[in-house]
Amino acid sequence: MSNIYKSRKYVFLFLAPAFLFLILYLYYPFFVNIYGSFRGIKNLGTFGTKWNTPWYENYVKLVTDPVVRTSLKNTLIMIVATIIGQVGIALLLAILVDNIEKGTQFFRTVYFFPIVISATALGLLFNLIFLYDKGMLNQFLELFGRTELIDWKGEKLAIMTMMIPVVWQYVGFYFVILQTGLNNISQELYESAAIDGATRFQRVWYISLPLLRNVLCTCLTLGVTGALKVFDLPWTMFPKGMPLKETFLTGTYMYYQTMEAKNVDYGATLAVLIVVLGVLLSRLTRRVFKESEDF
Amino acid sequence: MKLKKLAAVLMTAIMTISLAGCGSSAPEAAAADAPTRTEAPAAEAPAADKTDKTETAAPAETETASGPVEITVTTTFAGEDSNAQNYKDAVAQWEAATGNTVSDTSATSDETFKTRIITDFETGSEPDVLFFFSGADANDFVNAGKVVSIDDIRAEFPEYASNMNDDLIAASPANGVKYAVPVNGYWEAMFVNTAVLDAAGVAMPDAGYTWDQFLADCQKIKDAGFAPIAAALGNIPHYWWEFAIFNQQTPANHLNIPGAADDATGAQWVAGLEDIKDLYERGFFPDNTLSATDDETFAMFTDGKAAFLLDGSWKVGGIVGSCQSDPEDPSTLDTEKLSHFDVTYFPGKGNRKTTDMIGGLSMGYYITTKAWEDPDKRAAAVSFVEHMTSDAVVPLFAQHTASALKNAPAVDESQFNALQVKAMSMMSGVTSLTGAVQDLFNGDCRVSTFDGMPEIVVGNVSAADAVQEGIDVYKDTLE
Repeated sequence: MSNIYKSRKYVFLFLAPAFLFLILYLYYPFFVNIYGSFRGIKNLGTFGTKWNTPWYENYVKLVTDPVVRTSLKNTLIMIVATIIGQVGIALLLAILVDNIEKGTQFFRTVYFFPIVISATALGLLFNLIFLYDKGMLNQFLELFGRTELIDWKGEKLAIMTMMIPVVWQYVGFYFVILQTGLNNISQELYESAAIDGATRFQRVWYISLPLLRNVLCTCLTLGVTGALKVFDLPWTMFPKGMPLKETFLTGTYMYYQTMEAKNVDYGATLAVLIVVLGVLLSRLTRRVFKESEDF
Repeated sequence: MKLKKLAAVLMTAIMTISLAGCGSSAPEAAAADAPTRTEAPAAEAPAADKTDKTETAAPAETETASGPVEITVTTTFAGEDSNAQNYKDAVAQWEAATGNTVSDTSATSDETFKTRIITDFETGSEPDVLFFFSGADANDFVNAGKVVSIDDIRAEFPEYASNMNDDLIAASPANGVKYAVPVNGYWEAMFVNTAVLDAAGVAMPDAGYTWDQFLADCQKIKDAGFAPIAAALGNIPHYWWEFAIFNQQTPANHLNIPGAADDATGAQWVAGLEDIKDLYERGFFPDNTLSATDDETFAMFTDGKAAFLLDGSWKVGGIVGSCQSDPEDPSTLDTEKLSHFDVTYFPGKGNRKTTDMIGGLSMGYYITTKAWEDPDKRAAAVSFVEHMTSDAVVPLFAQHTASALKNAPAVDESQFNALQVKAMSMMSGVTSLTGAVQDLFNGDCRVSTFDGMPEIVVGNVSAADAVQEGIDVYKDTLE
C-alpha cells in the first residue's frame, strides 16, 4: 500500500528546504569567510583584489595581536562570570524563591523582566548609571560624602562595569529554567526529609541540588556557549574596546575590525577563531557538564 | 491518501517559495519595468522650480503620474548640529509643496556614521539622497559608480545647482568629477567657557594667542580645579589631531600626506601627536578622557566644568541648545548663560598664525545612482536637492559660515544670537581657511591615530609607529 509515512522520499522532501537554507545562509558563508580570511579585503561584499602576502598573514597576526589575547582573556572572564554570576545567582534565587510560599510568580516576573528589554537599551541605561559626571552611582557616593568621582568605565574598573549588566540581564533566564526544575522535584521527598529531621539547608543540599543536576548542566552549557556570543550590550557601553582596547570580547573585536577599521579580511579571520572556539567549548562543556541518566 | 500527498507537496512548495522570496531580486524587477514608465519623471519640473527658486524657494511639483513618491534621505543634520531644526523645517516645506515624503535616516556625523554610509552603499541599501563628505571618505562609492555626477544630472536637468559657483564645488579626489552640491561651509575653532576662565583668573584668548600662553593658561585652570580641555580622546580625537598637526605646518603644506613617518611631513604629524600626548601627561584633559564619550565632555564644557572645547561650526547650535530650557524652542534661551560662551582661534605655534583656520565646503548633497535609475524617484530626488540648495534655504543653513551661492544674500546679524555674532566676529579676522587633511587621509588610514589615540597618549604605542601604520594603510589603499 502506498503510504506517505512509509516512503522515505517524503522525509527528504521536508528536510530539503531547511537543509538548503542552512547551506545557503550558514555553510556557504562560513567557507566563503575562510576564503576571505586569506584575501586583502577593504570593503564588504567583495573578495578583494589580491591575496595576502603571505597568504596566511592574518593567522600570523592573530597569534601575535595583543588585542586578540585581551579579547580571549575577556571572553574567558565572561564565561566565568556567566557560570558564577548568571547560573550561580539564578540558582541561589531559585532556591530562595522555592522556599517561600507566597509571591513566587511575582519574583519570577521581576527576575525575568530584564530579558525582554533589548540589550542596546540596557546598555544605554547602564551608561547613565555608570556615568562619570552626574551618573547615578557617583551621585549616590556623593550623598555619602565621597568627593572624588569614580571613573567606572576607566581602565581599572571597565571589565567589572561591563560584566555587571550582562550578568544581571540573564540571571532571570536561568532563574526561570531552574525554578521549573525545582518545581518538578516531588514534594514527598522534602516532606519525608522534614519528618526525618533534615534542616532546610540539608534538604537543598541533599535533595534539590542532586535532582537539579541535569537542569544545571543544561544551564551551564547554554551559559558558556552564550557567553561567546555576547555582543550588543558591551558594544553599546564600550564601543571600540574603550578604554585602551581593554574591553574587547572576541565578538566585539571582530565587529570592530570588520565594520570600523575596515579590515574585513582580518575580521573574517577573527570569525574563524570564534567558530573554532565555539566548537571546542561546546564539545568541552558537553563533556564536563554531561547529563546523568540517574536523575 | 491522495489528499495527504497533495498536502505534502503543497507544504513543500510553500516552504520553497518562502525561501526563494527571501532572496528575490526586486531591483531587477523594477528595472525591467522601467521602460514602461519612462514618462513618470516630471523632467521639466525643475524648470518651473528655477523661476521662483531665488524668490520663495517653493519646491517644484514633482509628483509623478504614479502619485507621491517617498525618497530616503540621510544627512548629518541631526543631534546637536546647528542646522538640525532648519533641516526639519526645509524638509517639511518640500513635502508640503510637492506631496512627496522623505524617509529620513539622518544621524550625527562621526566615524560610525561614515562607516554606516559606506556599508550601506556596499550592501546596496544606500539612500536616494545623501548629504556627505566630498573628500576621500566618499571615494569608495564614487569609484563604484554609485552616485551621479552634477554634469550627468545637468544633462537632463540643466538648472541643477545652477545657483552655485562651480569653482567652489569640491571635486571628488577619486576622479576629479563633481558630485556633491554644497550647502554651508564649516570652520573649526576653539569654544571657550568664559565663566571658567574668570574663575581661574585667565583672560579671554585673542588673535595673537600662542601655544605657550595656552599651556600656561591650562595650568592655571587646572590649578583652579577645572578641566582645561573638554575632549574625549578615546571617542572624538579628530579636532585635536587636525590642529595639533596644523600647528607644525602652514596653510601651504597642511594638505600634504606624508610618505613615511620620518620624512618632513611625517615628522610634523608625529610632533603634532606628541603635543597631544604632552597635554594628556600634564593632565589638561578630563580625568575620564579615555573612557568618556564626546557627549559627556561636551556636557562638562556647557556645565562650566571645562574651559576649552575644540570643535566645528556645527557645535554653535549645540551650545545654544544647552542654554535653552527647551532645546527645541529658541524662545527659552537663557541669554545670561549664553553670554558665558565665546569662540576663538586655536593657539598658534611655529609658522602657523593663530588666525589660520581649518574650514571650507567639505560636504554636499549626492544623488545616488539607485535613485537616478528609478524613474519614479529621479525627478523627486533632483527636486529635493534643488530645494535644499536653493538661494532661500542655503543662507538659513550657512549663517556664520560660507556658502557656494553665486548670489549670497547679505547676512542679517540682527537674527543671530550672541554666540553666532561672536563667531562672525572671529571669522572676520581669519587670515586663511584650509581644508582638513583628515578628509584626504581616508577612513581606515586614520584608525591607528584616531582609534589609537589613547594608546599613543598613554605611551603604549609611539606616535611615529602609529603614523607609519596609517601611512602603510594609505599606500595600500592607493595600490
